[in-house]
Amino acid sequence: MKPQPVAIRPSMSRDGDTRNESRRLIGTWWNELTEADAQAAPVANTFVMGSMAEILNTFDLPMSFPEIAALQTAVKGRAMDFLLAAEDLGYSPDICGYVKVDVGLHNTGRAHPLGTYPKPAIVVASNMCNTYIKWAEIWERTYHCPVFVLDLPGWRGSGFTSDPTDETFANDVRYVEGQLRDLITLCEEVTGTAFDIDKLRHVLASVNEMSELYREILTLNKNRPAPFNALTEGINYMGVANILRGRPEGVEFMQTALAELRERVDKGVGAVDDERFRLLLIGTACYTNFRDFVGLFERWGGVFVASEYMSYAGGGIDRGIHYDLDRPIESLAEQILISSQLTMSGIFHSHEWQAGVVRDYGIDGICYHGVKSCRTTSAGLPDAREWLMRNEDVPGLFIQSDLVDSRLWAEAQMRNRIDAFFESLQSRRDQAGG
Amino acid sequence: MLVAGVDVGSTQTKAVIMDRDQEILGHGLCPTGARLDEAGQTAFTLALDEAGVTESDIDYVVGTGYGRFRITFGDVQVTEISCHARGAVHLFPNTHSVLDIGGQDTKAIKVGADGQVIDFNMNDKCAAGTGRFLGAASEALEVPLGELGPLALGSKNPVKMTTTCTVFAESEILGWLAKGRRVEDVVLGVHVAIASRSVTLLRRVGVEPEVTFTGGVTRNSAMVELVSEQVGERVNTSEESHYCGAIGAAIFAWDRVLAGHPSERRTSV
Repeated sequence: MKPQPVAIRPSMSRDGDTRNESRRLIGTWWNELTEADAQAAPVANTFVMGSMAEILNTFDLPMSFPEIAALQTAVKGRAMDFLLAAEDLGYSPDICGYVKVDVGLHNTGRAHPLGTYPKPAIVVASNMCNTYIKWAEIWERTYHCPVFVLDLPGWRGSGFTSDPTDETFANDVRYVEGQLRDLITLCEEVTGTAFDIDKLRHVLASVNEMSELYREILTLNKNRPAPFNALTEGINYMGVANILRGRPEGVEFMQTALAELRERVDKGVGAVDDERFRLLLIGTACYTNFRDFVGLFERWGGVFVASEYMSYAGGGIDRGIHYDLDRPIESLAEQILISSQLTMSGIFHSHEWQAGVVRDYGIDGICYHGVKSCRTTSAGLPDAREWLMRNEDVPGLFIQSDLVDSRLWAEAQMRNRIDAFFESLQSRRDQAGG
Repeated sequence: MLVAGVDVGSTQTKAVIMDRDQEILGHGLCPTGARLDEAGQTAFTLALDEAGVTESDIDYVVGTGYGRFRITFGDVQVTEISCHARGAVHLFPNTHSVLDIGGQDTKAIKVGADGQVIDFNMNDKCAAGTGRFLGAASEALEVPLGELGPLALGSKNPVKMTTTCTVFAESEILGWLAKGRRVEDVVLGVHVAIASRSVTLLRRVGVEPEVTFTGGVTRNSAMVELVSEQVGERVNTSEESHYCGAIGAAIFAWDRVLAGHPSERRTSV
């Protein structure tokens, strides 16, 4: 028998300390950026993957993240203004939406819906996304600021290892460590402050603590019902993990979130009132129609209990990072290398990670969301989908829209595919007598 | 006891009336246009008239198609993906793969023994390679849609269309005509392009015999030939293929009736 969607309170309306606190922290972050710009204080413009927050925070450099700023313009309904401003300058519709929002923002007075997007005094990029380097060069030309590009070697073999006795891995760590020391020197020049290795240890200890809490939070969604939606509330956790990585406020937030989620688990409170299907999201979210997107799943009782996005855009925070404080710079180099290699190799090995999540979290179906303006994160999704269907017998839905470009969102078609997917999930469950 | 299935598609609206033995008693077909609710009602009324029954004789109505939520007299809605799967297996019980070329969508569906959807794949957001492309060709060549198929079958030397984009169809067609190619060669080229793109979608979910071809484009004889050729076996079609979505919807209606779900239908529209 075919089910019909039921009215379910969306998870985004699930009130709690965490939700309010994340809003407050993000507001505070924007106030810091706005204030820094007003005071002409140095700000580091960096990216969520390979942010080098550990070093930047050691120098008390406020960090602006263009991807986070861009997605926030989409959620606030302003992304198109900036996309069109960039296209007026000649940027192609095919270019990453985040880049174009950022370019539009910088060329229209840097007035973000949540504050002033500051001019960078230093730009930190890496090769973890193939767009980052050219993106950073735009700022370099615009603001004549130094750009530091961290070159992270990919894993050159069929099996990943982080064994320190492995010669290739050890060489790569030394290569990254040398670059970190260069970045430290550059930060000293930009801030006029001497590097304090004990302060770095303090920052690293904070990341260790945050990472453990974050990992525990993710694990709580193995419960039925899942206490949080990895797409909606998960974005809040990941956002705070990025902007407050290495800061005590970030640790406190994760403690609050973990306590709140444990309480939900104890009381049997789920992300939605009636959890019917447990889902895994592969790819990034659709921020331009974020509420509509989530609602199309939640109206069927579908909950994203896990999301690959919470892993690969979190700079390894999901893995339970443990920096060795006795050798901080070397340990930082090791962990950055492991995170980046896992992320970059993710295109080729994501299906194995997905299979583990399917088993551990009791996944009923996987949603693969291809992003039209980001081929990097969209590569291989149909192949992974077929592999999971064949080897793990888990149904997969492939849909496409965009991160921030509402012109690439077609609600009727999106709804049709999602509804059909849930109909097939229900039919499958009925067949199994569930 | 009777049920109805109403399929409000992007181009045409179809309706069928079905009895307890799952025999189709009546059909209705009309252009969808801008008033989806009216189109649904018109097709439904036409089907009632053909069946010789009235609306009050209908116990349950399932709506499908893009306009399914505007079928004000319906009980529940089911996507056309599920409906085409059920409808195809109803028409051809050995069906394991379904290809539906609709007005703006092409669907490739892998189905189970009783018509449940195992997997599906659809064209991207744009209507490239769908039935709309044939419509664009019809307009550009000033050949009625119904004559395209027979015209294409008169060619043995199709042009190679480089696009299935409906926006660029006209300019490419005119380009071939300007080069002196015969109209039938251009028309066959259009058909080959659509068939090729559609069968690629089908391969993505896996071509598993028997393959049933559904939707309005099944009335195009050239397209049936070309899809069969590219699939590598004769695809199933019938007089009812155009109504496959509505038929599937009617079968879902029977599911609901037999499971004891009371109708929530408003009988006066």
